[in-house]
Amino acid sequence: MNNAIEVNGLRKVFDQNAAIEDVSFFVKPGEIFGLLGPSGSGKTTTIKILTGELEQTAGDVNVLDVHSQSFGTSDFKSKIGILSDNSSLYERLTIYDNLKLFCKLYDAPLEQIDVMLDVVNLREESKKTVSKLSKGMKQRVLLAKALIHKPKLVFLDEPTSALDPGNVAHIHRGLQKLNEAGTTIFLTTHDMEEATELCDRVAFLDKGKLQELGNPDELRYKYSTHAFHVETFAGERLVIENESGNANKIKELIENGEVKAMQTDNPTLGQIFLKITGKELV
Amino acid sequence: MNAQRISAIFEKDIKDFMKNMMLLMMPVIPIILALLYKQLGGEEGLPIPMLYLIVGVTFSSVTASCMMTMMAEENEKKTLRGLMLSPASFLDIIIGKSLVVGLMSFIALTISLVIVGIKPFLNVQAIIGLILLFLFFLFLGIGIGLFTKSIASTSAYLMPVMFLFGFTPMIDFLGLGEDSTAIMIADVFPLMQLIDMHDTNSWIPIGIVAIWALGAALFTYICFKKVRTDD
Repeated sequence: MNNAIEVNGLRKVFDQNAAIEDVSFFVKPGEIFGLLGPSGSGKTTTIKILTGELEQTAGDVNVLDVHSQSFGTSDFKSKIGILSDNSSLYERLTIYDNLKLFCKLYDAPLEQIDVMLDVVNLREESKKTVSKLSKGMKQRVLLAKALIHKPKLVFLDEPTSALDPGNVAHIHRGLQKLNEAGTTIFLTTHDMEEATELCDRVAFLDKGKLQELGNPDELRYKYSTHAFHVETFAGERLVIENESGNANKIKELIENGEVKAMQTDNPTLGQIFLKITGKELV
Repeated sequence: MNAQRISAIFEKDIKDFMKNMMLLMMPVIPIILALLYKQLGGEEGLPIPMLYLIVGVTFSSVTASCMMTMMAEENEKKTLRGLMLSPASFLDIIIGKSLVVGLMSFIALTISLVIVGIKPFLNVQAIIGLILLFLFFLFLGIGIGLFTKSIASTSAYLMPVMFLFGFTPMIDFLGLGEDSTAIMIADVFPLMQLIDMHDTNSWIPIGIVAIWALGAALFTYICFKKVRTDD
């Protein structure tokens, strides 16, 4: 298979306003790719175009070797899983009945229901009616629904929003297991820790334009000043540039036993985004 | 078309139907009306237009109304998008839902007609007429359900549908002249065509009802095209 996702010169215009402008990227098979950006940056629009919920104004989009013109086929739909703001559940039915419906629609074995209930930590609640669930529990059921047919590629729009830290960790482990089994994951998130922990590569989107793309560690290195941040026992905070001329100064501090803590400058993804766009990633 | 997907949607919708009091009450309306009309009919039974009034009420209050409500709820709660993003085709979704509505309509219509007199409907022409009429109301319900964005707004559309297409024979009680424009227009409506069918051996009324059903199917298709994507 070629790239799982290939996007070239993507453009989407709503009422003469460009929501996406000349966006190009690719996602390799088996990769976890994160699309990061503030609200209104075009993340959800991008996901909707990639899943066939929206048609692009211009540009070429291929997902799993299928051109966007053929996104409506059953064959294509059975290969992808989607969790987006358009995902919803049948409130009068139980968790089990909701998952059973999608198991049958995707021609997946019913045993998958229990497997997915374990992944999202809801095995005990399977007979509960959806209307009685909390927002976080519903989000977990939606995630189970998106993954129930073992899709080759899964699109997750803010998958862990509204979840408590314990369940976020549980879901992350589930997603990593899924990825190890070969599933490609395309996710959007505001959570920089989540992106750093899960993603092989991330792309920053702002005002519909791609601002940066790369491996989180490589980006952090690229945007690092490479300086040493030293905190002394005297309470001083020193920034020492990573240059050969400063080697003696660092050596001296260590020999004199003045160093309380020392670390290299290592910006977070949020700080990098701030540096590129001048705005917080919220 | 895929039988497993159709049966999955049918199973889901029948469970949902049974837990929805608003929908559960719909099939009761024509049955109550039939019981009331039965008292009016006396020994010789009800005239054909009155029987078709029961048919019209059944198809508008059960078939069109339930379908409209089910589709509008799916639209409002965004569950329809989930179905459309799954491998199920639009036809799978519509057939699965129509089976539930069809079953409820069949039960309500059979009980109502048994109460008021089913004999005039026990011939091929009348049965074909009823099936086409069912399809007309079904497509109308699907189309409006797709077109409206909430369950609350369906009632605004249901009323005209009920009065225009479900209660059409009532126009005769308004005291309008035979050659009035309203009567002439109403005569082309599907329910009036089926009433006329009982006075003639012609298949033309069936053909006209078929055209109405095709028109409603086209309306449904156009509405589907609009909800398929977010554009």
